[in-house]
Amino acid sequence: MAYYSTWNSSRPLTTMEKLWRIHWIALAMTCLIAAVGTVTLYSVSGGSFQPWAERHTLRFLIALALVIAMALVRLEVWIKLAYPVYAVALVMLALVPLVGVEALGAKRWIDVGPLSFQPSELMKFALVAALARYYLWLPEERVGRWQYVLVPLLMIAVPVLLTLKQPDLGSAIIFMALGLALLFLAGVPLRYFIVGAFLAIAALPVVWSGLHDYQRRRIEVFLDPGKDPLGSGYHITQSKIALGAGGISGKGFMQGTQSQLDFVPEKHTDFIASIIGEEWGFVGLLVLLAAYATLIAVMTAMALRTGNRFARLVIAGSTMSFFIYVFVNLAMVTGLVPVVGIPLPLVSYGGTAMMTLMVGLGLAMSGYVHGREPRRGEIGPFW
Amino acid sequence: MAERDGLELPTGNRRFTRRSLLLAGAQAAGLSLVGWRLFGLQVLERGHYAPIAEENRINLQILAPRRGRILDVAGRPLADNEAVFRATVTPSLVKDLHDVLGRVQQILPLDDKDVADILRRAKRQRSNVPIVIATELAFDQIAKVNLFAPSLPGIATGTSWRRRYHGGDAIGHVVGFVGSVESLSVDDDAVLRLPEMKIGKTGAEAGFESELRGLGGTQKIEVDARGRIVRKLETVEPANGRDITLSIDANLQEQVLARLQRERCAAAVVLDIKSGAILVSSSAPGFDPASIAGGISIADWQKLTTAEDKPLLNRVVAGQYAPGSTFKVVTALAALEAGVVLPTERIPCPGHYDFAGEVYPCWKPDGHGELTLHDALRCACDVYFYEIARRTGIDRLASMARRLGLGTIYDFGLPDEKAGVIPDPNWKRGDLGASWLGGETLLTGIGQGYVQATPLQLALMTARIAAGRIVLPSIRKTTSPPDSDFATLSIDAAHLELVRAGMLAAVNDDGGAGRSAKRGAGRPPIAGEVGSSWIGSGRTQGDPRREGLARDHSLFVAFAPANAPRYAVATVVEHAGDGNAAAAPLARDVLNFVLDHNDRNQSGKNASGDGPAAAPHTNGTAG
Repeated sequence: MAYYSTWNSSRPLTTMEKLWRIHWIALAMTCLIAAVGTVTLYSVSGGSFQPWAERHTLRFLIALALVIAMALVRLEVWIKLAYPVYAVALVMLALVPLVGVEALGAKRWIDVGPLSFQPSELMKFALVAALARYYLWLPEERVGRWQYVLVPLLMIAVPVLLTLKQPDLGSAIIFMALGLALLFLAGVPLRYFIVGAFLAIAALPVVWSGLHDYQRRRIEVFLDPGKDPLGSGYHITQSKIALGAGGISGKGFMQGTQSQLDFVPEKHTDFIASIIGEEWGFVGLLVLLAAYATLIAVMTAMALRTGNRFARLVIAGSTMSFFIYVFVNLAMVTGLVPVVGIPLPLVSYGGTAMMTLMVGLGLAMSGYVHGREPRRGEIGPFW
Repeated sequence: MAERDGLELPTGNRRFTRRSLLLAGAQAAGLSLVGWRLFGLQVLERGHYAPIAEENRINLQILAPRRGRILDVAGRPLADNEAVFRATVTPSLVKDLHDVLGRVQQILPLDDKDVADILRRAKRQRSNVPIVIATELAFDQIAKVNLFAPSLPGIATGTSWRRRYHGGDAIGHVVGFVGSVESLSVDDDAVLRLPEMKIGKTGAEAGFESELRGLGGTQKIEVDARGRIVRKLETVEPANGRDITLSIDANLQEQVLARLQRERCAAAVVLDIKSGAILVSSSAPGFDPASIAGGISIADWQKLTTAEDKPLLNRVVAGQYAPGSTFKVVTALAALEAGVVLPTERIPCPGHYDFAGEVYPCWKPDGHGELTLHDALRCACDVYFYEIARRTGIDRLASMARRLGLGTIYDFGLPDEKAGVIPDPNWKRGDLGASWLGGETLLTGIGQGYVQATPLQLALMTARIAAGRIVLPSIRKTTSPPDSDFATLSIDAAHLELVRAGMLAAVNDDGGAGRSAKRGAGRPPIAGEVGSSWIGSGRTQGDPRREGLARDHSLFVAFAPANAPRYAVATVVEHAGDGNAAAAPLARDVLNFVLDHNDRNQSGKNASGDGPAAAPHTNGTAG
């Protein structure tokens, strides 16, 4: 394994050096965002740490410790694990229809002893790692050849198709967006994307006929909300009322009548942004949006600072997944896109998505810590 | 793999930087879009949704649609709705719920226990959903509530609809009943959040739920802190549910149930062969949906669900029985198609059949002598069918059974439907983890062993044989012309004719196995086949000393009139012995009801010059 010889040729980093190299500002941003979650969940439950705020905080702290622990693990370990983990995730995804547990009409979960988890979550970072691993191996001059574009396309397409079958439109969209972003960053020539876009438009009618009835209904309702003011349109309307009621400066902490009075459904999970919007107003949401933007910008800078191809693609993938979650969730809450079950990262209550994002961040952080050439006697700025 | 020198190509690095920045730009644009949208909703348009006064709030109320009716074929309502006056309270509109309820108590008959119940419910549910505080109110009570309305914030009066059923036990299984919503998901229709909303639980109520339910409406109102309406923002009227007209006839259902109740547990189903429409679907014991939907005590419900004779089970579609000798028509058609037996070949029956060291008995221990296929169908000889089943092989038997409609569900609107079992080596390996034994082919050939079918499937099988077409069941009245548009069954017409002749002989010949289904002289004859579904080990079957629950189920399938088939019937009488004893006379009576009813209708129609009698459906042209 000589691919990472450049930055591995010097003496190994000590634990202290690694800790020094962690991008603490990025971690601080995640703490800030998670704190917004804690405050909002406290408010939503009528001024109580139960049942959500306390568990949310605890989960985040565990996840944060995990990020730091992952950052200390040598990058070689993740590189070696990338393909096997991807293979395991793929097999599990394929097994879901056979052994999965059905919940709310979709089979997405697998029970392992007392735990149940969604293989599609595992796949989210497994896909990023596997694609990064692939481009670590692939010599630069072959990146543009069609055979070598086909392979990663298949690596993306198989999980997309498997999750579409479950059916889990949200995860399929995330895989696709993540995968394509990584191909773009890895240097796949633009002509492939242009041709792909045309093919996608041509294939739209086929996709439409392959969608489940409820998925089609969601899209139809989105395009014409009057069609179903009580189905998925109900959430959007309530959410817009709450946002509008918040106005510019909001009604104040724990004062949001719309949300305090239970008008907003799923207020502690996917629609938590409408609560923030009602209580803290446009200003509050803008600050939260700025916090996300800062996190994304900081992580983009991390990727640019990294020389190793695996590392920077993993960082970019993690960045992209934060962006997708934030964008899709806020677009959904404001009625820009149809309702898809994607939470607001680190703010919405729910452990699965938080773990996925934080594991991704852990990988990115390991890449950032180990993927740079060690400078002689490095003590300089850590970001 | 070439050893890399480790240095990244500078072009790659620059490209990564360029593209990273491009992507970051796109991300920034995405977040800006969201920010702009928030600006629009929260700053520019805030007047649209923001309440006028600080303490006011906007309440989106859901208006329930009226559920569609369920009608029988003649348009008689089997399930409809009656209006009841009721009063509700919306907790989110009330500051002190306890106080308001105290004032309501002076007007309405509400005791302290009711008040405690309402307070408890108010804590558990969404506060913008109204809670019913009293229902079935008299008009003057409603008037009083409205008179005092200004001092009763959050209290509203109105009419709601209560489900009403007509026909009792006779229609219970087919129509089903409604009940409260038990669980909700994000995607579900928000009208289901209304506590008084009922959804279909079984039968047509559940099968046609989406059409019956209709669409909820919404009313957006702004209320002040005391729950008074400040302004109405917009109202979307609910769209009531559609009526569903079933193909069953309420009068026939009643007649058939009365006849069924002479047996303990029994089922009968009649199909119109041309349209596949189910005219009669009756299962005994039954239940009255009105007694369940109107609110049933836990004790009564448990009695219903745990009763040994399973009154809630719709035996027509969910009762699975070994079809016994009624399955022999499948074996016969499979053997004929495979060419392993000729109609003229005589096979001896000594009363038992020896195979692989085991002895398989015929129901007639003395044996039937030498038999042709026609004879074997007439007297339902087991040995003959053991032999041709062995020659045919399990795969071809299973395939023929499926082509005739067994082993699958049709999803035609009765949600309790069961698929039954058509066993073959793959099924056994998958379901039981064991390999197929030769003797099991023999048992399958006479409809015992693993084979299971519902009465509906057996009626469908009979209809397909009678019509030579792939008849499919339906429970809704069809508006299309009754001319058969089912695809032709790809079975040799001569083979079908042989089987039909065997079934005719089984009922109408002196030695026929189903002679107790024979109709009186001068009436169009029935063609049919008896069966008995073995209870326990086949080895003990046929022992006349067995009583009660150890007795075999009695089965019968038939079509009539034999020369121009219009109706296919299947009957099951549980634990009543062989088919000729109970199921065959039952089927005859049921067909008599249907044919007489049909004659009455036809004569009525002809007298009024209202369309000609249906042309007799010719058969034997298939293939």
